[in-house]
Amino acid sequence: MQVYLPIAEMPVDPFIIILMGAGVGFLSGMFGVGGGFLMTPLLIFHGIPAAVAVGTEAAHIVASSVSGVTAHLRRKTVDMQMGAFLVAGGAAGGAVGVFLFRYLRSLGQIETFVSLSYVIFLGLIGSLMLAESLRAIVREPKKGAPRRRRRRTAWMAALPFAMRFRRSQLFISPIPPAALGFVVGVLSAIMGVGGGFILVPAMIYILQMPTAVVVGTSLFQVTFVTAVVTVLQAAANKTVDIFLALLLLAGGVVGAQLGARAAVFLKAEHLRALLALIVLAICIRLIFGLVLPPDQSYVVEAL
Amino acid sequence: MIAIVAIFILLFASAARASDIAVALTDDVIEVDAGFFGAHFVLFGAVTGTDDPEGHDIVAVVRGPPTTFRIRPMVRERAIWRAGPAIDIEGEPGLLLALATRPLADVAPAATLRDLGAAADPERIAASLAPRSDAAARHLESGGAQIVGAAFINDGLRTGRVRETSGAVRFRKGGLFSIDVALPPRTPVGAYSVETFLLRDGAVVARDNAALAVDKVGVERRIFELAHRRPFAYGLACVSIALAAGWLAAAAFRK
Repeated sequence: MQVYLPIAEMPVDPFIIILMGAGVGFLSGMFGVGGGFLMTPLLIFHGIPAAVAVGTEAAHIVASSVSGVTAHLRRKTVDMQMGAFLVAGGAAGGAVGVFLFRYLRSLGQIETFVSLSYVIFLGLIGSLMLAESLRAIVREPKKGAPRRRRRRTAWMAALPFAMRFRRSQLFISPIPPAALGFVVGVLSAIMGVGGGFILVPAMIYILQMPTAVVVGTSLFQVTFVTAVVTVLQAAANKTVDIFLALLLLAGGVVGAQLGARAAVFLKAEHLRALLALIVLAICIRLIFGLVLPPDQSYVVEAL
Repeated sequence: MIAIVAIFILLFASAARASDIAVALTDDVIEVDAGFFGAHFVLFGAVTGTDDPEGHDIVAVVRGPPTTFRIRPMVRERAIWRAGPAIDIEGEPGLLLALATRPLADVAPAATLRDLGAAADPERIAASLAPRSDAAARHLESGGAQIVGAAFINDGLRTGRVRETSGAVRFRKGGLFSIDVALPPRTPVGAYSVETFLLRDGAVVARDNAALAVDKVGVERRIFELAHRRPFAYGLACVSIALAAGWLAAAAFRK
């Protein structure tokens, strides 16, 4: 059976797409990550045009993160004030990213640009994660009191407009969160990711937010910013295939449930090592795509 | 339906004396929904004025709406392959199907086929390539427009935008024939022309035309239309659908 994707303008086997959604959903349920950075390359490998893969992923992320953010809102584990600055920065970054995307697309360079951004990000994150998890596996876990985190936020308090963030127990300027949101927004627009993989560590290590509100607040930012990016991508680039996004979601919800159940059978550091290997494998596959001579020496598109 | 068409054709064609050909389509408008694998239409026709219709060749040429194509050479820069400068070509058919009794190469000389528009004309294509930048112009000069034109033709054959089908003509009784025209999934919408030629010994003895419109219908088409006509509203709809679907999916699993 085949269905026709209206925006990608190509026929696909819906079961393969649902399976891809389930596979990535499984991994994201298992590792507790968003999965956009796995799904976009997978869609590109499947032959979906890179621009459509990126635009559609934004809509897919909105769909797959909405239930998470409502759960966190109910549990009040979202710093709304911090979230507002992250979202404001993210929306601006998303707008800049979408127009950069549009410009590169008009030059015919978007496929290469998306692949290259992924190679850089996946390569960097994959190798850091692998090194970290291997160290954790080799070294025996230290028993004893966890080292108390020293909060070094003075430099952020010294920036203008410093204010109190009650929920995060911080007194800092809103500029660092807005800037962080901006960077993540740009990445969201040009790579089709939620950006949690940057947002969460940056909130913990740079903004020094308490871990209890980090996940909820990052989901809050991701949901809002991908929603903005979805509208902008649809308006400026016409690359959001809602049909494709819904097929991915259908597989994803099932996969995520199974993944979350499977995760309990593995140690956290083993999970991270596994995820790092998957990330690096995708990175290497993308590198091959960039450096090997292409199948066709010319690309032709109908205008 | 078939009988009516056949009678109509016979009545019309009986006036002719020399070998002649007349065609009609089963439909003037082909509506293809997006999941339309195997969408097709039937071309009916009659060969008259001869005792030996099957000794002739029939070639039907289906041409889609004129389209502008952008061609880019892949260039290597610091070990990375990327798309190079753009070269445009205007007015090429969005779909070109040639359906014939026999392989086209056996039907007529290449020059005749090009004149009929049944086969791509490399020289004309090479001559109508328009570079979009100085870099593209240099590419055309150094690499040769012939190579770019050949790449464009090959892309058409590879993607199914240009296709030749032999043995496509089914002869029925008394010089009647039918040609079943299958449309590929990426059929562009718009006005199509169908030219049918009767050939003998590689020369055209008669021709007839028909026109049809290809229109896409169905939910996928509506999505496409909305996304292109009212992109901002479509974007808002996408977000609403994504939010609702995501919430529903999660609610279904909570139970």
